[in-house]
Amino acid sequence: MPEVARAEYLEELANLEASALGGLDLVNIALGRTLEAVEHQDIELAQIVVADDDRIDGRYLEVHQALITLLATQSPVATDLRLISSLLHVLKNVERMGDQCVNVCKVIPISGNEPPADEEMVRLILTMGRQTKTLIMQSKRAFEERDVEMAQDLVRQDDVVDDLNRDCFRLALEIGDDIDKREWAMTMLLAARALERTADNAVDIGEQVAFVVTGLFREFEDASHPS
Amino acid sequence: MLGSATKRTAPEEKKAEMTDSRAAGATSTEPVTKAAGRPAKTIETRGVNLFYGDFHAVEEVTMTIEPNKVTALIGSSGCGKTTFLRSLNRMHELTPGARVEGAVTLDGEDVYDSRVDPVAVRRLIGMVFQQPNPFPTMSIYDNVAAGLNLNSTKISKSQKDGVVERSLRGAHLWEEVKDRLDKPGGGLSGGQQQRLCIARAIAVEPEVLLMDEPCSALDPVATLAVEDLIGELKSRYTIVIVTHNMQQAARASDVTAFFNLDETGKPGHLVEMGPTEAIFTNPNEKETEDYVSGRFG
Repeated sequence: MPEVARAEYLEELANLEASALGGLDLVNIALGRTLEAVEHQDIELAQIVVADDDRIDGRYLEVHQALITLLATQSPVATDLRLISSLLHVLKNVERMGDQCVNVCKVIPISGNEPPADEEMVRLILTMGRQTKTLIMQSKRAFEERDVEMAQDLVRQDDVVDDLNRDCFRLALEIGDDIDKREWAMTMLLAARALERTADNAVDIGEQVAFVVTGLFREFEDASHPS
Repeated sequence: MLGSATKRTAPEEKKAEMTDSRAAGATSTEPVTKAAGRPAKTIETRGVNLFYGDFHAVEEVTMTIEPNKVTALIGSSGCGKTTFLRSLNRMHELTPGARVEGAVTLDGEDVYDSRVDPVAVRRLIGMVFQQPNPFPTMSIYDNVAAGLNLNSTKISKSQKDGVVERSLRGAHLWEEVKDRLDKPGGGLSGGQQQRLCIARAIAVEPEVLLMDEPCSALDPVATLAVEDLIGELKSRYTIVIVTHNMQQAARASDVTAFFNLDETGKPGHLVEMGPTEAIFTNPNEKETEDYVSGRFG
């Protein structure tokens, strides 16, 4: 009898976890490129991000299918079952984050090659993006290490993103009467919104960490009933 | 009192009980499956220790088995779950050298009281075994009526017909066998034989049904049929099922109790008992987690 029963199954589950969480690395790369494209108004780089989203979607489909197969063939229960359920959620979040990068990249060409950019607003969006990257990597580490405290800290990190998002909104309101500048500011608000959603997805992953560890699901923050 | 072994009082009480159940069988035209739920009885064990000679098989089991629920006993071979099951209706003591310490009560009445007749206990707490064991040459009808014949001398043919039909309907077997009740029970398929044994067990109107791996000799279709039946029977009985099939425990039971032993030769003990859903999604004990996840190599 092997040292540990079901060794192959456990190895497969561990590999699938690594693949699902590896999706967060792909998102991190996509977000990094997205921010670079925003900063330099780089339409070509933005197009690469859009095209590369297929890799993230591919990761989603591949790991999702493998997890369904494990459910069908291995009858996982207890922690294994909670882990698989969480990974299905994480995958969905990964896929959504990739789509949000695409959303940002798609608005870059709208604002043209030489937009009437407001430096302060670009700075706010880049800061938001960098903070969101921090959240993404922290959510990955919290999951890998099953660290509920680190997962809960994502809420604090997310508040920074939310504040920056509100700052963007205020700045857009005060951007002035120039029609081109106002149009540019509106597209940047869409980008800010996409980043805010991405950070929120990272918090959702944190909630899954708590579920895997404790077996209880609870929202870290309830948007419909804020404390 | 469950039924006394003292000759002076036993016949009256047993007769009273049998009269009641016969009356229920004879007057009720409703098949068991359609009958509304009835309150069944609670089994409680306190500090139960079971021995085979010098061998201490089960150690200090204290648990409450709730009425109208299916309780599954799971655990690896040798952990004492079947021994424990057999102690609940005093079958354990039929093994030479076997001994029981501690208390088992049925709705507060001591099953092991010296004045209690073990046969009366086994009528109230029926058992279905791993291998379907109908009397092979006896007719289907007589198989179901066997318990009645043993427990009572006075029962009319029409009353008996009523009980046999009700029991076979209750065991989901009536439609399949109603035209061949006089054929031998041994001629049925494995799944049908097991349902025949369940019909035989419920014919005497027990309070509790103990099932020792009732599906391990059955194919998947027959297994699911018996599991469905168990789900229906719980509205009338307290059911305890021993199973090696964890998915069966997960599917068919409301409460799961996990038994384990520290090493071969040591007594088995109860590790954890709780709602089946909790045991299979988030058990409290690591030992339980390892077992239900299949990490017991």
